[in-house]
Amino acid sequence: MRVLKVAEMDSARWQKIQNLFHQAADFPETEQRAFLESECAEDPALVREVVILLREDAHGASMLDGDIAQIAHQILHDPAGAPEAFKEFGPYRIVKTLGEGGMGIVYLAERKDLGSQVAIKILRDAWLSPARRELFAAEQRTLAQLNHPSIARLYDADTSPDGSPFFVMEYVEGVPLTLYCDKNNCSVHGRLRLFRSVCEAVLYAHQHAVIHRDLKPSNVLVKNDETIRLLDFGISRHIQSLGESVEKTMTGLRLMTPAYAAPEQIRGEQVGIHSDVYSLGVILYELLAGCLPFDFSNRTPAQAEKILTQQETEKPSAAADRTVRLPEHADAAAPASKAEWADLDVLCLTAMHKDPQRRYRSVEALIRDIDHYLKGEALEAQPDTLAYRFRKFVTRNRQPVAAVALVFTLVVGLVIFFTVRLAIARNAALAEAARTQRIQKFMTNLFQGGDASAAPAESLRVITLLDRGVQEAQSLNAEPEVQADLYETLGTIYQKLGKLDEANTLLNSSFEERKALFGSDAAPVAESMVALGLLRDDQARLPEAERMVREGLAMSKRRLPPNHPAVAKATSALGKVLEDRGSYGEAIKTLDEAVRLQSEKGAPTPELAVSLFELANTHFYAGHYDVSESINERLLPMYRQIYGERHPRVADILINLGAIKFDLGHYPQAESYDRQALEMVQAWYGKDNPETASDLTLLARALVREDRYDEAVDLLQQSLTIKERVYGKVHPTVASTLNEMGSAALRQHKNDVAEQDFLRMVDIYRQVYGEHHYLFAVALSNLGSVYSGREEWTRAEKIYRQVIPIFTESQSANHINTGIARIKLGRTLLRQNRFAEAEAESRAGYEILVKQMDANVSWLVNARKDLAEEYDALKQPEQAARLRAEAAALDTKISDSAKK
Amino acid sequence: MTARSPRGNLSESPPGAPSMEPFEAGLPVAGRNALDHLFSATYEELRRLASSVRRGDPSATLNPTALVNEAWMKMAKSPALAATSRLHFKRIAARAMRQILIEAARRRNAGKRGGGQDVTLSFDDSYQKAPSCGEDLLRLDSALDELARMNPRQATLVESRFFGGLDIAEAAALLNVSEATVLRDWRAAKAWLAHELREAG
Repeated sequence: MRVLKVAEMDSARWQKIQNLFHQAADFPETEQRAFLESECAEDPALVREVVILLREDAHGASMLDGDIAQIAHQILHDPAGAPEAFKEFGPYRIVKTLGEGGMGIVYLAERKDLGSQVAIKILRDAWLSPARRELFAAEQRTLAQLNHPSIARLYDADTSPDGSPFFVMEYVEGVPLTLYCDKNNCSVHGRLRLFRSVCEAVLYAHQHAVIHRDLKPSNVLVKNDETIRLLDFGISRHIQSLGESVEKTMTGLRLMTPAYAAPEQIRGEQVGIHSDVYSLGVILYELLAGCLPFDFSNRTPAQAEKILTQQETEKPSAAADRTVRLPEHADAAAPASKAEWADLDVLCLTAMHKDPQRRYRSVEALIRDIDHYLKGEALEAQPDTLAYRFRKFVTRNRQPVAAVALVFTLVVGLVIFFTVRLAIARNAALAEAARTQRIQKFMTNLFQGGDASAAPAESLRVITLLDRGVQEAQSLNAEPEVQADLYETLGTIYQKLGKLDEANTLLNSSFEERKALFGSDAAPVAESMVALGLLRDDQARLPEAERMVREGLAMSKRRLPPNHPAVAKATSALGKVLEDRGSYGEAIKTLDEAVRLQSEKGAPTPELAVSLFELANTHFYAGHYDVSESINERLLPMYRQIYGERHPRVADILINLGAIKFDLGHYPQAESYDRQALEMVQAWYGKDNPETASDLTLLARALVREDRYDEAVDLLQQSLTIKERVYGKVHPTVASTLNEMGSAALRQHKNDVAEQDFLRMVDIYRQVYGEHHYLFAVALSNLGSVYSGREEWTRAEKIYRQVIPIFTESQSANHINTGIARIKLGRTLLRQNRFAEAEAESRAGYEILVKQMDANVSWLVNARKDLAEEYDALKQPEQAARLRAEAAALDTKISDSAKK
Repeated sequence: MTARSPRGNLSESPPGAPSMEPFEAGLPVAGRNALDHLFSATYEELRRLASSVRRGDPSATLNPTALVNEAWMKMAKSPALAATSRLHFKRIAARAMRQILIEAARRRNAGKRGGGQDVTLSFDDSYQKAPSCGEDLLRLDSALDELARMNPRQATLVESRFFGGLDIAEAAALLNVSEATVLRDWRAAKAWLAHELREAG
């Protein structure tokens, strides 16, 4: 029986018992009872209770007298007391423990069905406090929200059978950033490029209103493929909006590393974007100098704070001087020149300025200066003194300029920056115009370098920002010159985002304003005409496009010296328009000229790369595969230098090389290029992205030709699902996948499947482009192949007769597409034994193609065969013999070159 | 007395939270949040240290007092703890340590019940007392909660001394009373708890 019933005992009674207990304890044991009975004779229960306490006190052998260490030993060493060893989480099987912290355990696990590896983080002791559950849930929400190639991805979240929440994320096998750089002896540029991708990931998080708050090299892993992953959003913080950098409570007391913490963070003050900028600065410092700026080992926060406020930050260049002598840093980032070090010092110390107000205002501003440094341009963080800029100019023209990869998210940031700039431009009037122009050029290049076709939601964000930019620009009435420049820039950006109507309005406004300002014959007006011409090109109004660009080019030549970049740019634009018109011969001449003009600079520029890219494409369309291949091979290292090794633009070149191999019938080689490209694009955009989907389609196309239909159809299905989800069922990119699906079915003689696919494709193009667009005609023409396959010759004939005028009008009578359609029409007539008509079409098609394409492309080979048959039937044996001889000669040539 | 159900009804607040000590109760909400987080952080660190003990890391120490000290050494460098005194930290660490040991004991109990194995059969001597030791801990936990109802100061004292290793002087400073009062409180509380443990067992 329990005597001291708690339920019956309140604080007052307990106090009374204690008092009696202490008094009685002063008596010898034998007299205690007598004392108590005299003190409280009326309450025998009370006496009993105190006596019990006195007995326990004398006994003195309870657990509380023992050593807690022993108890802990038994409890903690008992395997049954260890946290449950989970073996499985839903479809995942645990492979091993990756890490164990107070908050939770991270496991390496494997998906049972797919065998893919993932990391699983489980919160243990979720019951402990709501704060723990909230932190864990917050990390999960943050990861779910962040969808960036450099941020470890969230796959899944659930609750284990015992009620512990867990989530499944991307497993990252890599090396911490600093270790990676030291191990691989990375150069300053290499380090900066890796660091830049870290910045991009952080910027992306900021754009999603997430502050990381624990940035340090061990949270940045570099994978084998040199991509980085930013980890551990465990104490990240969600802010309500980008404008709000304030937190109401101090949270996240988990041990953040003081070495990378901003001074305000160490003081426990409000943190925000600026604190992440500081931490990035420290990481950069460590990458460059080989050591940390301050030594906080064995310091308390108070001491650390004192050091931070009292000590000047040593310049990384000076610190590097010291560390480089140490053997373990003998490899460190040495090769920067004195002038470069001066820039690096400024960059680094601006990022980690002790006063948050004087740091880079955003990670995006930091990235901009990294880019400036990498390109050898003046930093924004430094006042542009004349001497400084002169020095920069000299360096810039001596060294090849290395621009770096630009991502779409950066564009968003830049548009923000640009919008801010516009406000400044408005206030500072014309003095700011030169500045604005620089920004303008930078931004346009950015869009050319980056890729605007990320998820639609993201481009919507840009559009919103652009709309705001337009409003700002509209208020610039007092400075029409600046306004016109801005209209042109904004218009070009809208164009790249596919908003052609908005682009048209803005480019026209720019054009009109410039005419009013400079008269109708002036260099800026010429620039506007070229821009409008390129818009018409995008609008598929090709004759008008050609007229405008030609006029603009002529005006530029009249008004500017022949080696002016604007002349080269207009020349390149004309080449592009001619290419789209199918005037390949002329396009090649024009683009050659643009390339010549743009090569005079020496170092390859993005503008030169664009011209070469179009030139390679033109040669490709014209069937000059050798030339196209060699240009693309020249472009590959150039693109890698300009955009970075694994940029999607580099993948574009690989795709083009693959397409050449494809058209030449070297399908395994095409497959190999397509796979490289796919891997790159997938790494950049993620698995579930329409860009990735497009590359899946291309890879599938090669597989179809290798008769690996099952694999191909599987990829095409994946691709179609992604595209339909992102763009809806009626969209040109959906049509292009349907086209490959139809072709795969056609090759397997599944004519009914092919017919369904092509019919959908026809329908999409009809809805999107109308019945006069060449793509509509392409789709119809492929439908025609289904009917030819079924030997429904009259039905096929009808289609080709519908298609030829469309190609003729939208492209030209001499366009390859027209030629191909006529050769196909010839085939249907031949099969209907209408030999004279057939010969006329086959010959017309043959003549169109033979001027523009290599003699051994499949259409020409087929046309020769058909013509020979037709001449046989028309009793013209010498014509037939001539064609057969030609074919035989070509065969020999091909097999000869194959032997070589 | 019945054992606490493993999680269920506790899921909304840490055990003992309603009886947070008087000197903390007056803090504004932000302060209490900070305390909650400090507790979590401390718990995590102790937990980590305890895991290294469990994994048999020979350099790891088994003494909770040492663990608390080690945790303090590590955490003192964290900016988050800049404003926290060592004493305050130890008091919070003591509570965290209590939770860790109780949780381990509870889990072990559950495991043994679930496994249906007779625990004394195959264990060597050092483990023979293990089950009662775990159950004692659980009983102590409940008794401490009850003591907190009658006299929160005493409960804090026992928790800090027993689980956190605070000495008499530290406890006096923490509770803002004389050392003599600490000794008296301790003696009475200890006697009462000893009886509780014996009776419940």
